[in-house]
Amino acid sequence: MDANTFSNRVSSLTNDSCQFLKDIGAWNYVEQRRTCPIEEMQVWDGISGARINFSAADLPLQTTEMSRMTENLNLQRGLLKHLSRIPEVQLLDNVRVTAIEKEGEANGWPLVRLSNGQTFRTRLLVGADGPNSPVRTFAGITTHGWAYDTHAVVATLSHAPRTPFQPPNTTAYQRFLPTGPIAFLPLSPTESSMVWSTKTALVAALKSVDPSMLVTFINAVFRLPEVSIRYLHDLLLSSVASRKALTVDEVREEILWRERSHNISATSAYSSALSAGEVGIPPEDSEFLPPLITSIQPGTVASFPLRYSHADAYIGDGGRIVLVGDAAHTVHPLAGQGLNAGLADVQVLARTIETALLQGGDIGSRTALLPYTRARWFENHKILSAVDKLHKLYSTTFPPVVWARSVGLEVINELDTIKVALMITAGGGGGGPRADGSGWRWDVAAKGLENFNSTADTAKVVGSGLVNVVGIGLQRLGNALSQVGRR
Amino acid sequence: MALREVIVSNAAAVRKRPMFPLCGRGIANNVNTVDASEIELFSRLSSQWWDEHGEFAMLHKMNPVRMEFIKQKLQEVQWEEGTCSASSSATPLEGLDILDVGCGGGLLSESLARLGARTTGIDASEANIGIASTHAVRDPQFARSAKSLKYLHTTAEALLAEGKQYDVVCSMEVIEHVNTPSEFLHICAQLVKPGGHLFLSTISRTPVAYALTILAVENVLGIVTPGTHTYSKYIKPSELLSFFQEYPTRFASKTGEHGRPWITRLYNGLPSRKEADVRGLIYVPWDGRWTLTGRSSTSIDFDLSTLCNYIFWVRKPNGSV
Ligand SMILES: Cc1cc2nc3c(=O)[nH]c(=O)nc-3n(C[C@H](O)[C@H](O)[C@H](O)COP(=O)(O)OP(=O)(O)OC[C@H]3O[C@@H](n4cnc5c(N)ncnc54)[C@H](O)[C@@H]3O)c2cc1C
Repeated sequence: MDANTFSNRVSSLTNDSCQFLKDIGAWNYVEQRRTCPIEEMQVWDGISGARINFSAADLPLQTTEMSRMTENLNLQRGLLKHLSRIPEVQLLDNVRVTAIEKEGEANGWPLVRLSNGQTFRTRLLVGADGPNSPVRTFAGITTHGWAYDTHAVVATLSHAPRTPFQPPNTTAYQRFLPTGPIAFLPLSPTESSMVWSTKTALVAALKSVDPSMLVTFINAVFRLPEVSIRYLHDLLLSSVASRKALTVDEVREEILWRERSHNISATSAYSSALSAGEVGIPPEDSEFLPPLITSIQPGTVASFPLRYSHADAYIGDGGRIVLVGDAAHTVHPLAGQGLNAGLADVQVLARTIETALLQGGDIGSRTALLPYTRARWFENHKILSAVDKLHKLYSTTFPPVVWARSVGLEVINELDTIKVALMITAGGGGGGPRADGSGWRWDVAAKGLENFNSTADTAKVVGSGLVNVVGIGLQRLGNALSQVGRR
Repeated sequence: MALREVIVSNAAAVRKRPMFPLCGRGIANNVNTVDASEIELFSRLSSQWWDEHGEFAMLHKMNPVRMEFIKQKLQEVQWEEGTCSASSSATPLEGLDILDVGCGGGLLSESLARLGARTTGIDASEANIGIASTHAVRDPQFARSAKSLKYLHTTAEALLAEGKQYDVVCSMEVIEHVNTPSEFLHICAQLVKPGGHLFLSTISRTPVAYALTILAVENVLGIVTPGTHTYSKYIKPSELLSFFQEYPTRFASKTGEHGRPWITRLYNGLPSRKEADVRGLIYVPWDGRWTLTGRSSTSIDFDLSTLCNYIFWVRKPNGSV
């Protein structure tokens, strides 16, 4: 692939995930030039404007990196190369599992039938086959969850390089809007990836418009006040409904008018109507925003449905089957946790199998696999529910919640532990299955967010001195949220 | 320590009752140590052996911990005597002849065989041997080389009569079910090659053991079929230790066996690390698994760790027959 062309499927890998890939020797085969470090994150509330700034320096880490962006393809190619060098591993390319049957009656082993006619009788069948996992279905493992009424639009964005007056393109940006968050994830000095989660109807419209129109929308959505974004959305939807094509110029005109009425100066970084593509000395507030997009790489606009789902068990009833990754859990991408959680699953599963082998165990038996479930189910549950709550917290426009949220975010800025916890959300290391218990930060995040949702004793989360200040903010937020819930 | 006092005084009360004597009982020749009524009970249960949710769930979970202990003991001795295998991937069980007395559905036997031991599992119940063999045949790991694992419907006595001896003899959760434990131990001991190892795991006769295994597990929770355990048959760690302090001298008149006792002396109630070891097996409910306690430092019967389930290792002196 050309050095400036990037696939639209990308993931941020946490430091723990990268370390795991290094430990197993696979990272060497991942093309480093196609990866990009994230050193800072800017996250802000689309309505109140309250902002959190994360940087690797705030993390209890030895590195300046919070996470590393890579195309899923780059990682897959690296893993495949690594596997091809292990003689014990046999790879079957372009082969599908066509059926899975159970041999005999009780305690029978799974028989996996392949599209090339082969059948495998498996001591252990690992279901790493994604959200619609045929292995999970065969094992009769149920899941609980729900579809969000949002989809994620992805695209590879091109933009001018940052000027020498600005920090390099290693800052990720995410704006929380009531329709869902929009994220800007750097891949190279001039290319970045977008994950824009928004309402299903809008997704269809955004995918149908001309790329230059999409560019205009993306730039505006990172910058304009929320009321105006809502207006632009409506404009787009009604033009699609009435089949009356909207021109880019019309939209630009509208944005320009709105910037003026919001008192956004044309020289501000918050202005996108006029300055697109211009270079020169950047406005002072440019660090708060991603660079202006100039174009979208052809063929990279796509969308994915978003689901919260968690398998009720990771092991098949009689053993012999185990689930990892999206086959076991899917999560909203706003925290970039899906793949990282899957890699942590794999790391623990490998360790569990190794232990069982050393004890002469049958690696397909329930007993041998149980430590894997014990180590991962609850850990994933915490990540899943924390991310889900973040999503729900930010998808409301209910004023008391927004007010409390702004208080919340500003309060959060003061609280190191919660801040670190939220940073982990964004992929800053920790949360992995480390023996040293570095997973604690998720506990803090989950607990902290739990308290947003209830009037439970916030003192438990916060500790002592700050309770009065923080407690009120969080508690009101909790009350407001529960009212929203009742509506 | 109020808790300990209570336990001690209860234990003392229990001890006043006439218990079966572990040591010092004469051995009648050709006594079949297998209790007929218990064979029947286990035959009924044996179809459930491999159901990891069922009655044997706790046993399935205990297996890895027992294996850990067995490996650890063999490794310690091999290190000390410089007989470690040259290959780093080899396990300390590699190439050893191991007998699993009362193998049940083959839980331990399969693990032993997987780690490279030439394993023989025996059980007095034909149904158990049937279940164990059927299970092993389905596993390509054993089907390929019948040499590594075989099951026999026979008794320890019968093997002894054939003059068989093994590097390692294991008997897990069996001794609490036999009629005359001292005879059973004597037979197992003779099946061990000089310098070889004997591993036993069982339940101690303490009020805690009674509460946990009979009262709670059988009667209250209904996890195990009532009648599985008989409290009076539980053996304390100290009874095993004193048996091997007097073994084989006590049996000299019967068998003509002389030589150094397997345990020469106790230090604060504990054997030398090179002769024997006792460890508690504790179930940690919130982890859903068993753990092995460290070497105990207090009086062994009342040490919390060995109040209920424990595992015992003793080594046959090199000069014995
Ligand atoms: C827009 C978006 C952005 C994301 N961003 C991030 C991020 O920044 N960081 C992060 O950690 N995660 C992120 N994720 C989540 C991440 O992409 C997933 O968690 C991850 O891809 C799951 O990997 P997996 O291997 O478990 O499943 P999948 O990637 O779904 O792979 C399953 C595989 O199984 C194969 N398969 C299925 N059925 C069969 C069959 N019958 N026979 C043979 N093969 C079969 C499929 O072909 C596929 O290759 C994001 C997700 C989305 C949608």
